[in-house]
Amino acid sequence: MRDSVVGHLILKDWRLNRPLIVLSVLGGLIALVIVSWGGQTPFVLGGVWFFMALILMGHMLPFGIINERKRQNLPFLMSLPISSIQYTISKLISTLGLFLIPWLMLLISAGVLIEVRHVIPLGWIPMSLILAILPFIGFVLITAAALVGEKEGWGVAANVVCSSSYWFVWYAIARIPSVAAGFNSPFPLWNSAVRNVLACEFGTIVMILALTFFFQSRKKDFI
Amino acid sequence: MSEFAIELSGVEKKYKFFTLDKIDLKVPEGQIMGLIGPNGAGKSTTIRILMGLVHQDRGEVEVLGRQMPSEQVAAKWDIGFASEDMRLYDLLTIGWHMDFIRSIFPEWDDAYAQMLLKRFGLREEQKIKGLSHGQRVKMTLLLILARRPKLLVLDEPTTGLDPVARHEILRELTAAMTDEGRTVLFSSHNTQDVEQISDQITFIDRGRIIDSMDKELYLDRWRRLRLEVPLGIRLPALPGIIEVKQEGRLAVATANAFVPDLANAYENAGARIQRIENMTLEEIFVANVEHSREEEVNA
Repeated sequence: MRDSVVGHLILKDWRLNRPLIVLSVLGGLIALVIVSWGGQTPFVLGGVWFFMALILMGHMLPFGIINERKRQNLPFLMSLPISSIQYTISKLISTLGLFLIPWLMLLISAGVLIEVRHVIPLGWIPMSLILAILPFIGFVLITAAALVGEKEGWGVAANVVCSSSYWFVWYAIARIPSVAAGFNSPFPLWNSAVRNVLACEFGTIVMILALTFFFQSRKKDFI
Repeated sequence: MSEFAIELSGVEKKYKFFTLDKIDLKVPEGQIMGLIGPNGAGKSTTIRILMGLVHQDRGEVEVLGRQMPSEQVAAKWDIGFASEDMRLYDLLTIGWHMDFIRSIFPEWDDAYAQMLLKRFGLREEQKIKGLSHGQRVKMTLLLILARRPKLLVLDEPTTGLDPVARHEILRELTAAMTDEGRTVLFSSHNTQDVEQISDQITFIDRGRIIDSMDKELYLDRWRRLRLEVPLGIRLPALPGIIEVKQEGRLAVATANAFVPDLANAYENAGARIQRIENMTLEEIFVANVEHSREEEVNA
């Protein structure tokens, strides 16, 4: 029986990217162990390391797509019974899955750490979530650039823009008074400002994904 | 279903510095069609259009009875495609690639794959990055042949190969044709390769098909006539003669529709026929391209 090739392509990407995911999860878990030691220095060091692991994973994964084009594997894949849209779907499912599963694992681990070890006030949970979603946005943006842009430069440019933006955006969000108000709270404050920031983040992700499909479906030359 | 495995009619594709202009091409089922053209003639663009990888601006493309690009998924189950710019995954092994293709195509013939592996001198545990260019081409061919596709589309498969590897590839392609009903479209700028295995030949230049017919008919219809022309005699313009080059008393006329009457006509005009030569496919190709370009300039 002839199955859809999309599933086979997703499995292939999972096999090829396993080492990167294992390394990122390990990196993130080590960072959380450092945070769990308690005190300001381990918190700052571990926190930065934790977000670096998320960023690294989000920025490295889309380079699989760029490399497939650069190393001329794309004609091989497109010789299989798939359309350009099916290729796009397979890439989005595989890379989103590859990112989201370890991302969620790390996020849940961080949540458990905050809850159980009380290394930081619970009021930090909303802000941590907001911060952790930004590498997710960066990942989606770089993935979109890798798929839609046909040159390596687009992926690199998206990478540079994201890498240089995180700290500014985190700083700007932390300066929103009603978001910052919850930092020292003994429980998470899910006020309207936090909810709005989260809605903006998820809206951005959905918009980037929709635009990716829109541009891919309009392409007339796929190789 | 149509008697043609591939049918392109009125296909156009415009780029900034190149236009594929009203391409009409028909490849009958069970035939090997050689698509010959110089670099940049439009061979790869034509092939990408018929694979659904590039969408035509105008015209109809039907492959194995499927409209392209809209039905490319259904069509590609039965097409084995290899192109010069196609690369396998460098860090993975031959065995991994075979497993990958086997998992997708239920038609995969493992015994045939193993036989090809042996014949090509390849081993499953070899990584692609350690293979030579010739071995990579053989590996790609193995992956598509073991799927037993109805149609093989090969874009410059022999480019850059040494004579031995080229011979092996061509031999396997010829052997693959023993499968009843299998069709091959094979592009190259190497006329020797095409001459060796093709039944039909199409010449393409500057985005236009300049000629397409049976190989034997080409070789039969094209001739070079070496003439001695006495002083004061003017050679007549004859239908079927596309070019006459004369230096002093010696002239060479190239015919694309040779009949013995042409030689008689020159003799009747006062010239003496020194020799009538058969032309190789390469000579026919070059003469055809030059003639077509000259016509384009004069038009």
